[in-house]
Amino acid sequence: MAAYVLRRVLWGVVLLALVSLLTFVVFYVLPSADPAQLRAGRNADPATLAQIRQNLGLDRPLTAQYWTFLTHLVLHADLGFSYYSGASVGSLLVDRLPATISLTFGAVVIWVLVAVPLGVVAAVRRGTWVDKLTTGGALLGISAPVYWLGLLALYLFADDIGTFPLLPGAGSYVPLTDDPWQWLTSLILPWLVLASTFTAVYARLLRGNMIEVLSEDYVRTARAKGLSERRVVWNHGLRAAVTPLVTLAGLDIGLLLGGAVLTEAVFGIPGIGRLNYEAIVHADYPVIQGTVLLAACFVIVANIAVDVAYAYLDPRVREQ
Amino acid sequence: MPRLVKRALPLLLLILATGLAACGSSSDNGGSSSATADDGAGGHRGGTLTVLTSQDITSLDPGITYQSLDLNVLASTMRTLYTYEPTAPATLVPDLAAGPPQISDGGKTLTVRIRRGVRFAPPVSREVTARDVKYAIERGFNPNVANAYASTYYGDVVGADRASGGAIAGIQTPDDFTLVFRLTRPTASLLAQSTVLPLSAPVPQEYAKPFDAKAPSQYAAHVVSTGPYMVAADSDGKVLGEGYVPGRSLRLVRNPNWSAAGDHRPAYLDGIDFEIGGSGTVYGRQTLAGRGLVLADPPTPALVKKAYQEARDQIFFSPGAGTRYAALNTAIPPFDDANVRKAVAAALDREQMRRVRGGEVIGDIASHFLYPGVQGFEKAGGLEGTGVDFLAHPEGDTALAARYMRAAGYPSGRYTGGETLQIVGLAGAPDSNDAQIFDQTLQDLGFKTSLKLVDSGVMYGRFCGVPRARVHACPNVGWIRDFADPQTVLNLAFNGNFIFPENNPNWPQLNDAAINRAMARGELTVGDAARASAWAEIDRMITATAAAVPWLYDRQPNVFAADVRCVPELWNQGHCDFAYTSLKP
Repeated sequence: MAAYVLRRVLWGVVLLALVSLLTFVVFYVLPSADPAQLRAGRNADPATLAQIRQNLGLDRPLTAQYWTFLTHLVLHADLGFSYYSGASVGSLLVDRLPATISLTFGAVVIWVLVAVPLGVVAAVRRGTWVDKLTTGGALLGISAPVYWLGLLALYLFADDIGTFPLLPGAGSYVPLTDDPWQWLTSLILPWLVLASTFTAVYARLLRGNMIEVLSEDYVRTARAKGLSERRVVWNHGLRAAVTPLVTLAGLDIGLLLGGAVLTEAVFGIPGIGRLNYEAIVHADYPVIQGTVLLAACFVIVANIAVDVAYAYLDPRVREQ
Repeated sequence: MPRLVKRALPLLLLILATGLAACGSSSDNGGSSSATADDGAGGHRGGTLTVLTSQDITSLDPGITYQSLDLNVLASTMRTLYTYEPTAPATLVPDLAAGPPQISDGGKTLTVRIRRGVRFAPPVSREVTARDVKYAIERGFNPNVANAYASTYYGDVVGADRASGGAIAGIQTPDDFTLVFRLTRPTASLLAQSTVLPLSAPVPQEYAKPFDAKAPSQYAAHVVSTGPYMVAADSDGKVLGEGYVPGRSLRLVRNPNWSAAGDHRPAYLDGIDFEIGGSGTVYGRQTLAGRGLVLADPPTPALVKKAYQEARDQIFFSPGAGTRYAALNTAIPPFDDANVRKAVAAALDREQMRRVRGGEVIGDIASHFLYPGVQGFEKAGGLEGTGVDFLAHPEGDTALAARYMRAAGYPSGRYTGGETLQIVGLAGAPDSNDAQIFDQTLQDLGFKTSLKLVDSGVMYGRFCGVPRARVHACPNVGWIRDFADPQTVLNLAFNGNFIFPENNPNWPQLNDAAINRAMARGELTVGDAARASAWAEIDRMITATAAAVPWLYDRQPNVFAADVRCVPELWNQGHCDFAYTSLKP
């Protein structure tokens, strides 16, 4: 197992190098704004523009720029400085990460707690009103864009602009260490909004998997052995049905840790997603590179974790 | 026709959705039916204002920045030599200067006396001298600072052509409170006016020099104020990560070393907190419903409609917020032919272009390039225009357009050439709607077009500002003055000497020898009235070429909470001036 994990980690490093190269190429090949011109404004003459380019290191050949980035990253764990604010990319990521982690894990807890029972009950009570309600609700959840749902939640329930002012609205986020109660209340609406789509997807998937699993021979055997229906469903059915969802959850969590851009934007949460969006707007390449690499890291780590979890959940994988 | 319907439908829906067309079609003057410009006198002291902005500031360094939001911050944290009162956007008033600028030697020497008793904020905490202003300007030429307009406005100072951050011979400080600029050409009038820009805000050399030695300069992270407010900082003066967290927040607190004596600013507020990076849509709603809030973003059309209909005291339409125009590339066919350009200008329905943005409330139909609030606007024709026939009908004149096309050699009155014109506009309503109206106009004249809609940075940086991109027309460009002098509106934008291979500000690539000569004379004209006349005439000459089609004099809507007594900076898009704004008790 250790060799397997090590092999995956090494592949992850290679993948990160490829992601960084791809980000670099995309930034310079596709027509994005010129960071030097954005900073210079329209009055700047060619000489001033050249000075700014030199300051930002943009006057050097692309290969030299990339090599410098790579060596600084590998040798000094240095992601460089933002073209826009001058702050170090590392400090920006560290500053924004807690908000994204808070948002992601809260939403994960909600969607797992809601989607799993819903999916199981809908599968067991197939064709009943519970099933129809779950399936219909899931369809709505999947169809509703997060941005729209976020605005709707704020217009309905935010304590400043909501019709029914129940919860803190946009811009109310504070770090957990500053004020735990406000941290909790400020994240309830974002968690619910972010979890809604995932809950819908996972409930639908789990329902489908459960229906399939519950018709398997080994489940019939379990029933024939006289096990209670609850034990059959939760111990034998769910364990097999949930395995594919673990893979999906790993990827989703990894992606969300890379930034839930829309949710963070609507609710004014200073997370990685918003940082990435702002960097794209300002053609702030070092920050774009930093956020993309961080997101890639999370996805790779999540994948490795999923593989390990797979081995735990499925004895066949362990044996292989 | 189906294509026309297809393109017109979204516009119609937009108009119906926003409902602003109705506002625009009334006979009321849009500007006066909203909140009026308040001078702020007798404001209530105390309280903290919260500013909501989805866009971050660019830089806190007065030597680097001059973006609108940054100027808004610097207006209350820095003291430049001269400034504008918020509601008098064309009248220069002394700020750090002790009196009016003294121009001598036929316009080749500018002398400014510095006010005594102005002190830097902590940790510098000493009196400001003329040497601090001298260093501030000199560092603008330091490659690590690379100020974008230093060479434009200070380029005639003796020695500036060789400047790279060290002493400039033409900036002299005969004593601690006198600053003398010696110039190679008689451009002291323009130089005096340009000192309203933040580059003339004093910078303490002994403190800033180590930061300026780094590439790029790190002074923004340690910036020192002289105005009534300062960015909250640690004991060493570091603001980055303290008072300013990029993309998140900016906190202005009172500068303990500021004295009301000798400053025209009342500074009623205890502090100003910026919340940065959220959704503009949500911020807008919060501002209208909340307390102590100001929206620094341009409001969405939906918010303008809501504020206009439900809370007119909470929206102010700031006049003189720039000219919007469609640039036609005079360097390549078919717009190298003046008659073709005039045909486009005649055909364009500028009324419709305004309507999709909200109608009369958001501005007047433009008919030349100097705009209200800039010296020379009235002399160039004011709102009536310069008198050219191709801009006489804001709703478009297809018969006249056909005549110009025939004059250009197209007997049918429609273009019959084979090439496809590259049009680059801004993505996102209402800009994209304006681009589509322009595009449809070209098609109606017989042109084949390819319309590309991109964001602002890409439009200027990769297409409209790059001559080798060979873009035929850019319908969404515009210009905002740097200060009230008309040269700042026309010179870079239409002077043939400023056609650069990149970051080219002369988007139509107009290179007319007569206009270039007139501009060279205009640059050397001394005295506000004479300069206004000279540049008004240049404006008429540019308009007559139809190198660009002016279509809107912007009024910028600004939204604030009901308990905020916003004093709009009419010289800066109408942002609430924090040094004059107060909270109602």
